[in-house]
Amino acid sequence: MDQNRQGARASYVALAVFVAAWILLPAAVRRFNREAFVEFQAPALHLLGKSRDLATFWEKKSRSAEELAAAGRDLARINAALELKLKAMEDVRRENTRLREVTRYNVPTEYLSVVARVATRDSSSWWQRIVIRKGRNDGIRPGAPVVFGDTVVGRVTAVHLTTSEVDLVTSPGFRCTAYLEGDDQNRIVLINGVAANSLGTAKARVSVIPYDYLLPAGTPARVTTTGMGGVFPSGLTLGYLDGGAYATQVGNFKESLLVPTRDLYNLQEVSVLVPIHQTPGEALMQGDQFQ
Amino acid sequence: MGWSWLILLLATYPWLLGADLASDALASSSLVVFLSGACLVAPCRRLKRWQCVLFAAGLGFLFEARRPIPDGVLALTLVAVAIFLSSNRPLLRSTPRMLQGAAIVNVGACLVWYLASAFSSSAPSAGVAGHLVGQLLLAGVVGIVGLVPVALTQNAVMDRAGVPPAPDQP
Repeated sequence: MDQNRQGARASYVALAVFVAAWILLPAAVRRFNREAFVEFQAPALHLLGKSRDLATFWEKKSRSAEELAAAGRDLARINAALELKLKAMEDVRRENTRLREVTRYNVPTEYLSVVARVATRDSSSWWQRIVIRKGRNDGIRPGAPVVFGDTVVGRVTAVHLTTSEVDLVTSPGFRCTAYLEGDDQNRIVLINGVAANSLGTAKARVSVIPYDYLLPAGTPARVTTTGMGGVFPSGLTLGYLDGGAYATQVGNFKESLLVPTRDLYNLQEVSVLVPIHQTPGEALMQGDQFQ
Repeated sequence: MGWSWLILLLATYPWLLGADLASDALASSSLVVFLSGACLVAPCRRLKRWQCVLFAAGLGFLFEARRPIPDGVLALTLVAVAIFLSSNRPLLRSTPRMLQGAAIVNVGACLVWYLASAFSSSAPSAGVAGHLVGQLLLAGVVGIVGLVPVALTQNAVMDRAGVPPAPDQP
């Protein structure tokens, strides 16, 4: 019995020494350790995502011919409507190019779109994340914006060989600037995720709303990216203002909550917009991508 | 057998993956299905102390790897728990005791990673007490419900790996 107690005591001492060494170790060692455990789990995450895709495939394959015909007919109608829109967009594009030539406007950093399937979702009070099945091997870099259509989903926070972690718009670590619909002066507001403290859908906070800003009547106000900061292209939808805006304690500005446009936890596929040229912010992100 | 802790970790991993899948399903409620603490209880009855330590560290690092938790917090906590449990095996002498142990260890470890995340997060922590209680309750329930199937798998693996059975009267 004494031997057992002595062994336990020695183990606790060894643990204390190890904890001290762990704290003093260079960050690179801890980073390597974390990366090794992530890469160990990556094949399982891929397998999980692929089995989910396979299940969806067989579920769709079991649909009857009538259902498929109806879906095809609906798609043909949508296609026709989109073709009309495309023609209208072509005129807008030409006008845009002409104006850029006239004003000698510098085109912002262009993006390369990488489509990625969602492997898993993980969320707690302190993080709301998805893991996508594309990583460093596919050219994804930390800090790249992640979108679905014209809606912002989040931003890549950590990149591994074949997987990447994406902080959602509602995650406490997410921050960006935005414009509010109905504000003719285009004043900038701040968006940052908040710690989820209820079992409902997570939301982000919209702060620094000008005191004289009035919500558009009837429809919820759309919140769009400004394009400043070089992370997100301008004009992407972040979400809608939730109800009214309330005054802050200081009283100079108002605050409100942002409801994401889409259900971020039901996305199956997203696009990562990788800047063709490295942005200055990326260098900073690479330094703390494992935080 | 020296490598039995690693074999056991690999055998336990599908359960951890299952917990991740359940977390995926619960993502809209911001709750994590945490099972790592409960996975530690059965091996602590049979493995040697140093094997328990390595197994616990592996469990902790697997959970931490994909989450923004300060490095090593959960892993080192589980190692401390593993040393305690493997030094006090009489505490886990019966199934009801193991269930109690699983609930306590799972809730305790869950509390540790939650507080560590709160500490490292830049977001204000006002109003998360209710959510923390929900998370801890879930961890307790998952620890109790998950222990039996996980322990059955782990015991089967330990039998195959030639680990001596736990004494009836330790």
